Amino acid sequence: MSAHNARVHELRALDTLSAGQTAIHRLHPLAKLICTMTIVICTVSFGPYDFIRLVPYLFYPFIMMSIAELPYRLLLSRVLIALPFCLFAGISNVIFNRSIALTIGSMNISFGVLSLFTILLKMYLCVMAALLLVATTPFTELTTQLRWMRIPYIFVMVFEMTYRYIAVLLEEAYSMTTAYRLRSGSKKAIEMRHMGSFVGQMLLRGFDRAERVYTAMACRGYSLKHIPFAKRKMTGVDFAFLSAVFISCVLIRVINLR
Amino acid sequence: MHMADALLSPAVGMAMNVVSAATIGVSVAKVSKNEISEKLVPIMGVSGALVFAGQMINFTIPATGSSGHIGGGILLAGLLGGIPAFLSITVVLIIQCLFFADGGLLALGSNIFNLGVIPCLFVYPLIFKPLLKKTTSNKMLSLASILSVVIALELGAFFVVMQTLFSRIAELPFNVFITLMLPIHLVIGIIEGLITAAILSFVYKMRPEIVDYSTQNEQTKSVSIRNLTIALAAMAIVVGGVFSLFASTQPDGLEWAIGRTTEQVYGEEVELEAEGSVYDTASSIQEKTAFLPDYSFASDTDNSIGTSLSGIIGAAITFALASGTGFVITFAKKRSKEKWNVSA
Repeated sequence: MSAHNARVHELRALDTLSAGQTAIHRLHPLAKLICTMTIVICTVSFGPYDFIRLVPYLFYPFIMMSIAELPYRLLLSRVLIALPFCLFAGISNVIFNRSIALTIGSMNISFGVLSLFTILLKMYLCVMAALLLVATTPFTELTTQLRWMRIPYIFVMVFEMTYRYIAVLLEEAYSMTTAYRLRSGSKKAIEMRHMGSFVGQMLLRGFDRAERVYTAMACRGYSLKHIPFAKRKMTGVDFAFLSAVFISCVLIRVINLR
Repeated sequence: MHMADALLSPAVGMAMNVVSAATIGVSVAKVSKNEISEKLVPIMGVSGALVFAGQMINFTIPATGSSGHIGGGILLAGLLGGIPAFLSITVVLIIQCLFFADGGLLALGSNIFNLGVIPCLFVYPLIFKPLLKKTTSNKMLSLASILSVVIALELGAFFVVMQTLFSRIAELPFNVFITLMLPIHLVIGIIEGLITAAILSFVYKMRPEIVDYSTQNEQTKSVSIRNLTIALAAMAIVVGGVFSLFASTQPDGLEWAIGRTTEQVYGEEVELEAEGSVYDTASSIQEKTAFLPDYSFASDTDNSIGTSLSGIIGAAITFALASGTGFVITFAKKRSKEKWNVSA
């Protein structure tokens, strides 16, 4: 089941990347979080035909990727996941808005085409901003930051547990499908009439596992309400990074060089 | 169907984010009050992870040859109760957004609303539970599951259409969009409903106590659906209204906002690109060195979009510069690493 392997691999790949030791990795997670949100909001606030004014934002992903030593190809392949729906909406614009926006030589470019490219560029920038955040910030630092931001402990805890168990349960789903395939004469997928008991079994196993996890944690003195976490202060470098990104984002947004 | 950042306007995105955040806050408070909340946390976590694993299992749809996968909202609500299921789904959506590029940070609120609030907090208590009040026979379970999943999906798709339309990024007319979305989701809903029913009937048979468990979780809930709806709608309207004031009274909302801020600070409206001797010097240097002064050839200065040939060349140069900077940094880093290796 290649899809399964791909998913586990994707998840682990980001985990491995986030454990890097570059300058970007060492930045305070809060600084990176604010920068990410700034990029997303600035990008999205542009009009549907502002393709050209959006281009300068490309400096952010390119510079971040190179300093943080992230593989271009892996992140690009991840961006493609977001493509279909945006492409669908963008292409519909091409069909419904054919008035000419500009002419280059003998080629006419319609508003629809312009907005398709704007949507795609916006998608790339927003998805990359989020991916850069998780690819340079270890998961534990991210959740520590959430705790510091007073996000309710139950919510952070569910977040941590879900993330940790995805890989484990994907393994389990994988071994179950392999068993099914071997006993069913190498069927490609599970028949619909078997889905109930198949996923049902998986759920029950999962719940049992959750019980065991809870008991084990309770035995070790786990209590939801008192989870210690290390507080980390923002340093001068963090502030410098934050203000550099923030100011340049806002300037690109406000100044119209046209 | 995940909403994407690129199709949302900031007003709609932020309004949905506020609405979803508030709903999460209320739900967390409800779950915290529950006596078994500590035990519930690992179950919610594992359930969320199970939705991921479940989405990996492809099944064949009879007579079509195509394959599909399970969704989750109603299924989890049937197992955990509405509120814990909502929190599980929320976490799943956040992880999908951050780690799998499905959805986006600004679109998170919309996705949580469309795929979490609707199935778990509206459809589950209003349709699924009342139908199963008297009996959990297979027939009734199938009916309740299919009906709930279809309604939840159709409502979700409807809200995707509304959010897209209000954002005015996609230009698909309402009737075309809706006639495309609703039938597709009807088919998906029926199949997903059948599977949800099959899974639930299996689990209910094997562990009848889970039914009591989910209803027990529900009992701690005292918020009425009507109040919840009114509160959410009011919040969406207020936040959306405030943000769209920014967005629409002036063609450029953020610029207007910044103009207002500087006005408050300096007592008059100051343009950010405004005068000053340093600025003048800088701009005169820039004009002399600029390859494409003012981004436009003199002949087409009145081009309203400013996307003339010079604009496109400018964009291409910017792109080349941005990617070039990236490559230079990567190259420099590699070189310095090689040096280290040689000297070591």
